[in-house]
Amino acid sequence: MSAVQLQDQQDHAVLPKTSFEEASRQDFVRSLKFHLASKVSPGNSITYEKRSLPRFKKEAGREPETIREVRHLMAEDPYFQFWSAMQRNSQEMMWKSVQVSVERQMDSLAEAAKPNKTLGSLTLDPNLAVPAYHRLVDIHCMPGGYHSEFMKDDVANGAVYDRAVYLYAMGRMGPLNSDIGDSTIAYLKINWPDMKPKRILDLGCTVGHSTTPYLDAYPGAEVYGIDVGAPVLRYAHARAESLGKKVYFSQQNAESTNFPDGYFDLIVSHILVHETSHKAIRNVMSEANRLLAPGGVVIHAETPPYKAFGVFDAFMLDWDTRNNNEPYWSASHEIDPVAIANETGFDPSLAFEGNQPSAFEQAEARRTHVFQGGDFGGGGFWYVWGAQKSSLTMARQAS
Amino acid sequence: MAQLPRKASGPRPEYFEDPAIDKVLSMALALAGEVAVMRDRIDTLERLLAKGGKVSPEIIDAYEPSIEAKQAREAWREQFLDIIMRRIHQEKESLEAMTVTHTYDKLVEQVEKTL
Repeated sequence: MSAVQLQDQQDHAVLPKTSFEEASRQDFVRSLKFHLASKVSPGNSITYEKRSLPRFKKEAGREPETIREVRHLMAEDPYFQFWSAMQRNSQEMMWKSVQVSVERQMDSLAEAAKPNKTLGSLTLDPNLAVPAYHRLVDIHCMPGGYHSEFMKDDVANGAVYDRAVYLYAMGRMGPLNSDIGDSTIAYLKINWPDMKPKRILDLGCTVGHSTTPYLDAYPGAEVYGIDVGAPVLRYAHARAESLGKKVYFSQQNAESTNFPDGYFDLIVSHILVHETSHKAIRNVMSEANRLLAPGGVVIHAETPPYKAFGVFDAFMLDWDTRNNNEPYWSASHEIDPVAIANETGFDPSLAFEGNQPSAFEQAEARRTHVFQGGDFGGGGFWYVWGAQKSSLTMARQAS
Repeated sequence: MAQLPRKASGPRPEYFEDPAIDKVLSMALALAGEVAVMRDRIDTLERLLAKGGKVSPEIIDAYEPSIEAKQAREAWREQFLDIIMRRIHQEKESLEAMTVTHTYDKLVEQVEKTL
């Protein structure tokens, strides 16, 4: 039994309350997910080595070379099949366990999401088109996605997402789910220790759990967050206000925004990239190039690219592509930061990538130190990539 | 009260040749969850009674478990999952020991004929 307390998400004005049974169901899902990640998933590499790989070698006379080959091989492995089926179920059970409690309090949450006095702001655009890559499937199996609305002034899927991210990460992203933001900031502080951004933009900010840490990291900076989904933005605004954080939220697509040229010194995103598309991420980078002041930095945080892994481990990290409604997950893990910088107007010599250890050290005892489907936040570090806009005045610290 | 959609858009993958197995597995996991919910309720009841307090559905619903109680429940769930996943762990252990190719029939044949 771990002494580390990861049970409690920090409360705020719009965090959905849980009844006795709702809390129990959510606890069970969290335990089930941890059991699958720590005790069942490790068997996948064993069954691969001992059962499926020898079968492949016997038939093909060589080892599998691509994720696709491993996928076809493992689809017939009974151990993998069962883990995979349970993993999918745990994801569906997670959403349901949160939806039930959010449904019960949809009206009161929508009411609580209308703060009287505000520090920051919320600007919605009902005419904004939801991009096709969010309309075609509900990303990571969250019914309704980030954008669907089920009543007037709806915040439901913001509330569902905030609570479910906590369960999905099994508490290992901290009481405010802020680990990806905190870790990205740590990387920025090491590599650009003198950076003093006047304005910061968070792309695809959803409920603002990675946005708000930038206010503490860069005092005096104006922080902006954009997303395509109205319910998550209403929720983000109410959450930030409740936590005393001044953020300017607006409903915009990161591929094309209404901010002026050169408006930002720092543009960030956290697990946005894999929820876009081949064309969209290139549009996002071109738009970031337009929005950055000279010397400004765009940085994206994600799970590590496949080039960091052998073919079997890459296959395990790739699980979400085909089993968790993440159609761009696979291709996004093969992005080359230098090539994309070159394509989108950045000086390719100013592209960068790196790994940053997770900032939430308390979660250490519950980490699996593996990047695998359904074990989000278990790896213990995040991968960051991006580019700096050329300038004569602000050089990156050699590292 | 508005209802949120229960199914994410996009086709759901099937994992087993017989789709009935997918359904039965979903039901088994949902039932396991309900057992855990009931166990929490019993645990609450026991803790309230042990303190000599009154119990009612409302009192049970309002009960806030201490950190110690939460830890104990988490430990119980881990043990519970170990029990219901035994068959899965067993397969993993067999694979580790490389004994998986020996079926039980083969073992009987061995005892009958060669040992």
